[in-house]
Amino acid sequence: MSCHHYDHPHSRREFLRRAGCGFGAVALAALMRDNILAADAVEAKAPVPQKFPDHVARAKNVIFLFMEGGPSHLDTFDRKPLLNELAGQGLPASFKAPITAMGETKSPLLACKRTWKQHGQSGLWISDWFNRVAEHADDLAILHSCASDGINHAGGVCSMNTGSVFGGRPSLGAWVSYGLGTENQNLPGFVVIKDSEGTVVNGVRNWGSGFMPAVYQGVEFNVEGAPIKHLENPKGVTNERQREKLDLLADFNREYGATRTDNTELEARIRGYELAYRMQAEAPAVVDLSKETEATKQLYGMDHEETAVFGRNCLLARRLVENGVRFVQLYSGAGSKWDSHKNIEPLHSKLCRSVDQPIAGLLSDLKMRGLLDETLVIWGGEFGRTPMSEQGDGRDHNPTGFTMWMAGGGVKGGQIFGATDDLGLYAVEDRLHVHDIHATILNLLGIDHTKLIYSHKGRPERIDQNEGHAYKKIVS
Amino acid sequence: MKTRNTEHPTSNVQHPTSNGASARTLTSPLRRGLLRIGCFAALFCVTASAADDDAPREANKFFESEVRPLLSKRCFECHGEKKQKGGLRADSIGALKTGGDNGPALVPGDPEKSPMIQGVRYGDKDFQMPPKAKLPDTEIATLEKWIKMGAPWPQTEADKGKIAEGGFTEEQRNWWAFRPLAKVSPPEVASAWVRNDIDRFVAKKQAEMHLDPAPEASRRELVRRVYFDLHGLPPTPAQVEAFVNDQSPDAYEKLVDELLASPQYGERWAQHWLDLVRYAESDGYNADEYRSAVWPYRDWVIKSLNNDMPYNEFVRDQLAGDEIAPNDPNVLIATEYLRNPIYEWNQRDVRGQWEIILNDITDTSGELFLGLSFGCARCHNHKFDPILQKDYYRLKAFFAPVHWRDDMKLATPEQKAKYEEQEAKWEAATADIRAQMDALTKPLVDKKVEKAVDKFSDDLQTIIRKPGDERDALETQLAGLCQRQMTREKKTFDPMKSLKSEESKTKYKELEAELKKFDNIKPAPLMDAFVATDASAKAPPTFMKSRKGEQEVAPGFLTLLAPGDPDIKPIGNSTGRRTALANWITRPDNQLSTRVIVNRVWQYHFGRGIVATASDFGKLGEKPVFPELLDWLAERFVAEGWSLKKLHREILLSATYRQTARRQATEVAAKTDPTNHLLWRFNPQRLDAEEVRDSMLEASGELDPKAGGPAEDGNSMRRSIYTTKKRNNQNELLRSLDAPAGFSSTAERQSTTTPTQALLLLNGDWPIQRAHKLAGRVEKLDDAWIYTLGRLPTAREREQAEAFIKKRTGGAGAHSSSSSDAAENAGEFKENTPQERLLVQTPEKEGDEFTVEAVFTLNSIDTAAAVRTIASRWTGGKDSLEAFGWSLGVTGEKSRYKPRNLIIQLVGEDDNTNIAYEVIPSNVRIELGHRYHASAMVSCVDHNVIFRVQDLTQPDAQPQTVTVPCSVRAKLSGGASSLVFGGLNKRAPQHQWDGRIEAVRVAAGKLPEQELTSADSSKWKSALVNWTAALGPSTQFAWSGSDARATETSDPYRQALNDLCQVLLNTNEFFYLH
Repeated sequence: MSCHHYDHPHSRREFLRRAGCGFGAVALAALMRDNILAADAVEAKAPVPQKFPDHVARAKNVIFLFMEGGPSHLDTFDRKPLLNELAGQGLPASFKAPITAMGETKSPLLACKRTWKQHGQSGLWISDWFNRVAEHADDLAILHSCASDGINHAGGVCSMNTGSVFGGRPSLGAWVSYGLGTENQNLPGFVVIKDSEGTVVNGVRNWGSGFMPAVYQGVEFNVEGAPIKHLENPKGVTNERQREKLDLLADFNREYGATRTDNTELEARIRGYELAYRMQAEAPAVVDLSKETEATKQLYGMDHEETAVFGRNCLLARRLVENGVRFVQLYSGAGSKWDSHKNIEPLHSKLCRSVDQPIAGLLSDLKMRGLLDETLVIWGGEFGRTPMSEQGDGRDHNPTGFTMWMAGGGVKGGQIFGATDDLGLYAVEDRLHVHDIHATILNLLGIDHTKLIYSHKGRPERIDQNEGHAYKKIVS
Repeated sequence: MKTRNTEHPTSNVQHPTSNGASARTLTSPLRRGLLRIGCFAALFCVTASAADDDAPREANKFFESEVRPLLSKRCFECHGEKKQKGGLRADSIGALKTGGDNGPALVPGDPEKSPMIQGVRYGDKDFQMPPKAKLPDTEIATLEKWIKMGAPWPQTEADKGKIAEGGFTEEQRNWWAFRPLAKVSPPEVASAWVRNDIDRFVAKKQAEMHLDPAPEASRRELVRRVYFDLHGLPPTPAQVEAFVNDQSPDAYEKLVDELLASPQYGERWAQHWLDLVRYAESDGYNADEYRSAVWPYRDWVIKSLNNDMPYNEFVRDQLAGDEIAPNDPNVLIATEYLRNPIYEWNQRDVRGQWEIILNDITDTSGELFLGLSFGCARCHNHKFDPILQKDYYRLKAFFAPVHWRDDMKLATPEQKAKYEEQEAKWEAATADIRAQMDALTKPLVDKKVEKAVDKFSDDLQTIIRKPGDERDALETQLAGLCQRQMTREKKTFDPMKSLKSEESKTKYKELEAELKKFDNIKPAPLMDAFVATDASAKAPPTFMKSRKGEQEVAPGFLTLLAPGDPDIKPIGNSTGRRTALANWITRPDNQLSTRVIVNRVWQYHFGRGIVATASDFGKLGEKPVFPELLDWLAERFVAEGWSLKKLHREILLSATYRQTARRQATEVAAKTDPTNHLLWRFNPQRLDAEEVRDSMLEASGELDPKAGGPAEDGNSMRRSIYTTKKRNNQNELLRSLDAPAGFSSTAERQSTTTPTQALLLLNGDWPIQRAHKLAGRVEKLDDAWIYTLGRLPTAREREQAEAFIKKRTGGAGAHSSSSSDAAENAGEFKENTPQERLLVQTPEKEGDEFTVEAVFTLNSIDTAAAVRTIASRWTGGKDSLEAFGWSLGVTGEKSRYKPRNLIIQLVGEDDNTNIAYEVIPSNVRIELGHRYHASAMVSCVDHNVIFRVQDLTQPDAQPQTVTVPCSVRAKLSGGASSLVFGGLNKRAPQHQWDGRIEAVRVAAGKLPEQELTSADSSKWKSALVNWTAALGPSTQFAWSGSDARATETSDPYRQALNDLCQVLLNTNEFFYLH
C-alpha cells in the first residue's frame, strides 16, 4: 500500500519544489493566488466556494481607516444648519425619542462650532476639522445614512467589523481574504495597525476569523520593532542557525511524509514553516520606511509630532497594499479615543488634526502612484454622535444615523449619498445598515456578497446574515 | 441482515446503493454543500413517479391550463424555487397549505379564508400581492374558482407536498433523523476481520463498495492513538513499552479498561463537552469580566464523566438540576449550563440583552441536544427543515423563566446552617463597629448607587424600586440583571477616595482595624454558586414576533414529533418547565438526542461522525454514512443505561477502530471514497490545541498533574483544561491551534496551519522554554525521541541529528568575553557587547506591592519612543496574561510622555479583571550623564506609585518625591517574564539601557522612606534581589549579551541539543496521529 518507490530528493529545495505540486490544505490554499485550484485539491472544510471576483472588480485592495470610539458626523461631514438654530432647546417632539448609551435623554441640542465650506468642483460641505481631506472632495463618496445595531462600543465595533454585535463571526477582512485570497504569499492578506498601544474594544477578535479557519484572520503589525509578533528569531539565534533548524525539521518531516503522501495537511505544515521563514525575511522590509523620500514622509505629515504616528501608519498601509496585502485596517484612537461624551471640541480637534493630513497624504500618494483606482479607502467609526449634548459639551453615541466615506476603488467621487434628518439623528434616505455597507464593499471588490458563502454547521453563512444589499448607486 | 436499509433513504448522493455496477464517486463535502445550497430547490421538485389518481379530469385540466400558468407568471418569481419571500413557496400545493411565516396561504374550498385571495384582492393596504401591481380581475376570479374547487393539484406532484398530520409533508416526516430508531440487528458477514458487531455494519458497507479494511495498527501506533484519544496525553515511554511487550491475549482490552478508569479520561473528554456548551471563564463582549465561580462546573463535568454518570442524568442535571435536587450542590452546579451565554454587566439595554441571552440558550440547546439548527427558525419557519417558527418559541418558553442567580452558595444545607450560625456570632460581635462604618459610608454609597439606578430607562427604574415580592417573573429577571450595575458601585466604593475629611478617613481606618480583630470568628466564605433557577413558579410570557404581530407561545417540543402541549407541573418555586424538557430530551425513544450523542462520541473517536455534521441533522447537514449502525449504537446505548464508557469500550474494541492510519488509498478507494467516509483506514488526525500544549509539557517533564480547582494562566504547568479561558484573551498557543473562544457551541475543531502559528512555535518564548527544559533532561540522543515521539530514532534520523550537532559544535566560535573584562567595566550596559542585559534568577516574585531601587547613569535615550530600561519583569507585550509585568525606565525622544521622563509601565488586571496596560510617568526628567539614585514604590493596594529621585551629580540637589495614581489592580508579577536589569525579557536593543547601572534592589512590599535614602548600595537592607555591580557575576545573575552563543548557554553542544529538541517538538509526527 505504502509507496516505497519514493526516492529521496537530494536537497530540501528539490523536495519543496516537488511537494508544491500536490500541495493543498485549507490554510495555505487560501494564501495561494490561485486559490480555486488549491481548494479543489483538498477535501476542504473551508472551501472557497466559487471564483471571485465574480464580476468586474472596481477595487483590488481596501484600506479601512477606523476612527474608533465614534467620530461626530455632525461636526465633520454632515452639515446641519438647523442644529445651530435649535441649539440649547430639547429635541423637537416630532423626533422619536432615541435610547442613548449613557442614559441622558433630555439633554438640549448641542451646536456645531465648526466653520463649514464647500470644496472642490462638487461643492461638498466639509468642516474645517478636515480641511486637508477636503482638498480631495471630488474623490469622496460620502455616505450620510449609515446605521448600526451596536449602541455601545463593544457592540458597535464588533458590528462594524463582523456584522454582528456578538463575537464569533468572521470580520470583513477575513471574508475578503476568504473570497479573494492574497496576492503575496509571504505576507498576510489582512493586516491591522493601531495608532497606539491602546486596546481596541473587544481586542483581537475584531480582526478574527470567527468560525472560519485561522488563516483568514487579520495579523496585527506592530509599528515599532518586529512588525509581527514572534517574527524575530529567538534571542541570540542567528538566521543561519534558524535556517539549520528548519532544514532539519524539513528533513524529519519529509521522511515522515514520504509514506503518507495523501495527507495534504502534512505538506501544508511544512510549507507553513517555510512561509514563516520567508515572512521573517520579507515583512521587515515592507515596513522599513527608510527608503521613502523626505517629501513623501512630509506628505503624510510624518514631520509633525501630532500627525507622525497616523501618517506613518498611512504610509505603511500604502506600502502593504503595494506589496499585495489585500485588506489593511488602520485604527485611529485605539481604545475608544474618539468617544467624546464631554469636551468634544478639544478631544475631536486633536484627533482630527492627527488624521487629517495623513489621510489627505494617503489619498494624494495613492493617486500619484495610480493606486487609488484599485484601492478602496474607507473612513468611519462604529457609529456617529448625537445632536443632543451630553454633560453639557459632549455628544453621546448615535448608531441610528452617521457618516462614512469612501474614495477610490471605483466609487463615484464628489457626491453625497443618503441623508439623515434635519438634526442628523436618524438616517432617513437610503438608509445603509452595516450589512449593506459590507455588501457594498464586497461589491466594489467584485464579489456578489450573496454568493460569498461559508458553510458553518451546515448553514450557508454570509457576511450580512442574509440581510444586506449592495448599494450600487455608489459605483462609478 | 433482515435488512431495514430500505427504510432509509438510499437515493441520496452519499449513499451509493449496493449496486456495484453503478458505484459512484463519493462527492466531496465541498461539492455536496454547494449542490445543496444552490440546487436544493431543484432536487425538491424531482418527484418519484406515482400512480395517477382518480382526480377529476376536468379539475386537472383547469389547473394545468389556467391556474399553473397564472401561478408561474405571477407568483413563482418570489415564491418559488429561487426565492421564498415570507418563507412561502407557491409551486406545490403542500407548500401553499403549509404556508410561510404567516401561516397557510390558502384554505382549500374557502377563498374567503384564504390569505392568498385577500392579498390579490388588494383589500388590505398592508398586504397586497403581487406587490408590484394588482392582477386583472379575471385572474383573481380564476384563483378564487380554483380554491373553491378545493385547490386541486395534479396528484403526481401533490404527493410530494402532501400535507400529512400536523401540517408536515410525508417527505419531511420521513427525513432520516425524525424517524424512530430502527430495530436493527448486525448483519451477518463472513469476514475474519470482524471483531465485534460494529465491524459487521462497516464490513458490509465496505463490501458493497468493493472496499477492504486496513490491517490492524501496530502496537506502537495503537497505544499512542488510544492514549491521546482517551487521555489527551501521550503515553510515557514506560507505558508504551508495557503495552508493546504485553503478551497476554487481552492486552488491548486491559489497556482500554485501564485508561477509561483513570481520571485523565475525564480531563480529556470534558474538553469536548466544554466546547459544545461554549464554556468560558469570562463574560465576553468588551467588559470581559472574569467569572471566578464558574470552574466548579468544569470540575463537575470532569467528575461526572469519570464516574460514568449516565448521559440522561448528565443532561437532566444541566437543564434542570435546580428543580431535581435544589439542595445538592453537586447537582445544582450543573445548571451553570444555563449561565454560559455571553453577557455584559454594564449594558443599559437590559431587556434587549435578556432576549439575546434567552435566544442564545435556545439556539445552543437545539443544536447541542437535538442536532437541529433551531436558530434558523427564530424569524421564520425553517427554510429546509420542518421546524416551525412557533417551535423555536415553544423551545424558548422552557427557558423563559430562568433567573441568573448570584446569591446562592455551593454548599449543603448543613454547611449553610453552620456558616449562618457562625456568621451570626460574628455579626453580633461586630454590629457596633459596622454600624459606625456604615454611618460614615452609607450616605456616600447610596448616592453612588442611586446614580447608577438613574441611568436606566424609566420603566426599569420602576422595576428596580419595587419591593422584590411585588415583582413578577420578568421583572425579577430584569431587576436581577440591573442589580449587577448597582452591586458594582458598592464593590468599587473606595472609602479612602470618597470620604471627604482626613478625620473621617482616619476614623474609618481605625474601625477597619478594629473589625479585623474579629476575623478569627468570621466563618470562611462559602463558594459562590454560578447557577440558575426559575424566577418564580409562574413563568413570564414568551412572545413570538412575526409580521402579524406578537403571539404568546406556550412551551412545547418539536411540533413534528410531539404536537401537543407537554404536561408541566410546578416544582416548589419553579415552573417545572425545564424538568419537562429534560425528561423529553432524555426519553429512551427520543430519536434525535440519542442519535446525536452517540454520533458525537463516534466523531471524537474517529475524527468524523457517522453523521459528519454533528450538530446539524437537518437537510443542510450530512446524512449518516452507516445509518443502521447509528441506530444500533443508539439503541444499545440506551439499553446499556446511557453509559458513555460502555459505548467507548464497544467502539474502541472494534476492528474498525484498531485499523492502521498508515495506509495509502487503494485504487478503488481513491476513486470511490478518497476521503475515507467508509473507514477503510483510521483517519489521520492533528492533535487538538490542548493535546499539543499538554504533550509539550509531558515531553519536557514539567506537566503538573494537579486536578481541579480554579484555572491558572498559560504559564502554569497544569493541563490545558485548567488554563484560564477568557473569551477576549485566549491563551496564545491554544488559540493559534484552533481552540474555540467560547462564543458559540463548537462541535468540531478546525485544524489550520498558518505561518503565524509556525512563528509562534519557532520563536515564541513558551515553546522555546519547553524545548530547553526537554533538552535539559536528555542524556543521550535517543532520549529526545523517546520523550517527544515515544520511540527510538531511526538510523537515518540519528545520523541526521548527529550531523546537525557535529556541525554546530565543530563550528562553535569563541566563548563570551572573559570574566576579567567583565569585572573591569562592571555595571556598564551597552548594546552589542556581552553586557547588554542582566538576567536575574529568582524563585520568588515581588507581588503586587513592591519597591525597585537603583543607582544609575544614562548616556543616551532612544531616538524614537522606546524606553531605556533600568529594571523590568516584562515580555513587552500588552494583551495577554503572559505579558503581565512591569518595567522601570526612561522615555525616548518621541515619547508622548516627553523625553527623559522616568516612568514605570505596568501590565496587570484592572477593576474589571481585564488586561490593562498603563504608563505611570513621574515627570521627573533624567539628565544624561548625571548619576542618580531613584526608587519606585508600586502599590496595587493603595493604587499609586511613589517615585523618589535624587540627582547625585549635584551635591545639594534635594530628592524629589512624586505620587502618581495607577489603576492596575493585580497580577503584576504574574507574567511569563523573569526579572531583567537593563532591558526586557527578550532582547530589544532600543529598550536596553545605555550607561551604567551600579546597583539594583527589588523588595517585596513598600519600604519606609528612611530605607530609601542611601545611594550606597552596600548599606541597603537585604531584599528579594540585591545586586551590586562591583561584586561581579554570580549564579543568580547572568549577563546576556549580543553574542548569540552567550545568551542561553555558551556550550555549543547544549545549544545544538536545545535546537534539536525544538525541532522534534515541531515535527509533524509530534502533531499528528498518522
